[in-house]
Amino acid sequence: MDNLVLILAEVVSAIICFILVRFMIKPYQYTGESRYFGLPLGFVFLGISYLFMGFALFSDTLIFIEDMKWLQLLTQAFAFAFLAVTYYFSKQSSERKRLLWQITFAGMIVALVVSYLIVFVPPTFVLPSYKTVDEYFRIFNIILALYISLQALRSHAMKPGHKTIWFPLGYVLLVFSQYSLLVWSLDSSFSAFVGAHVLRLMGLFVFLFVSFHTFASSTDVTTKGKVSDEEV
Amino acid sequence: MKIYGDVLFIIKSEARKEKVVLTHIQLKTNVPFDRLKLYMGELKELGLIQDEPALKLTEKGQQYLREYGSVLDFMKRMGLAYS
Repeated sequence: MDNLVLILAEVVSAIICFILVRFMIKPYQYTGESRYFGLPLGFVFLGISYLFMGFALFSDTLIFIEDMKWLQLLTQAFAFAFLAVTYYFSKQSSERKRLLWQITFAGMIVALVVSYLIVFVPPTFVLPSYKTVDEYFRIFNIILALYISLQALRSHAMKPGHKTIWFPLGYVLLVFSQYSLLVWSLDSSFSAFVGAHVLRLMGLFVFLFVSFHTFASSTDVTTKGKVSDEEV
Repeated sequence: MKIYGDVLFIIKSEARKEKVVLTHIQLKTNVPFDRLKLYMGELKELGLIQDEPALKLTEKGQQYLREYGSVLDFMKRMGLAYS
């Protein structure tokens, strides 16, 4: 029964992420700037990572469970990395920075492939235990999610408004979710484990609500003023 | 792509006046005239603007501008810079 609730939480999280991809791809589509491509990619990876965890919880085969957990770990770390890199490069649009983004993106794809190969393709390396690696990855995720939250919060602080507070809040909830998972990994606290899932779902629902709200109340820019840097 | 959004906005706001003058658009967008004409040609080819009988946005252009505005608003809410 407990497992069923957890599987449901993972599946719902994955579905929300995949719905969010539909919105997250729009900045890339409408601006044509490849530096925003990390946004949909980040949410695709986040959704896939939740699916992997769902499969791990659903399965009875030990080897399959281990493989899924490792996949979940790697995929989620890359999801946060893609999002963080997008926020980092969104501030700059010079030719040099565009080139740097392309190099970074290519480097991340190579790192992604190499890390999957190291974990899954024989001869497999002697890796530390899953629990140890999980803790390091949680710390890595917390740092990246914290960076994203601070970037979004900074943008909100520069031009405070009730509309711009929700996304930073969603990211902060994801930070606390990762932190709770770290606590659970360290002391096996059940409340931290449940809290992590609740916080994550809350964060994702915030993203979903804001995204739907933005595009449902599709406002005509011509009634608001010139489309310019000040708008963004 | 940003320039397309800016040009479309200016055409829309200028359309309220009697006649849309390309020089006004050029002054507001701050792009060279020959490049502006190139952009205008591309926008026309995409069916976003029409120049007969007068220069103005098509229905598709208005729809694009609305969606473009929503995307900018979305990016602003996400805390993403666009310059």
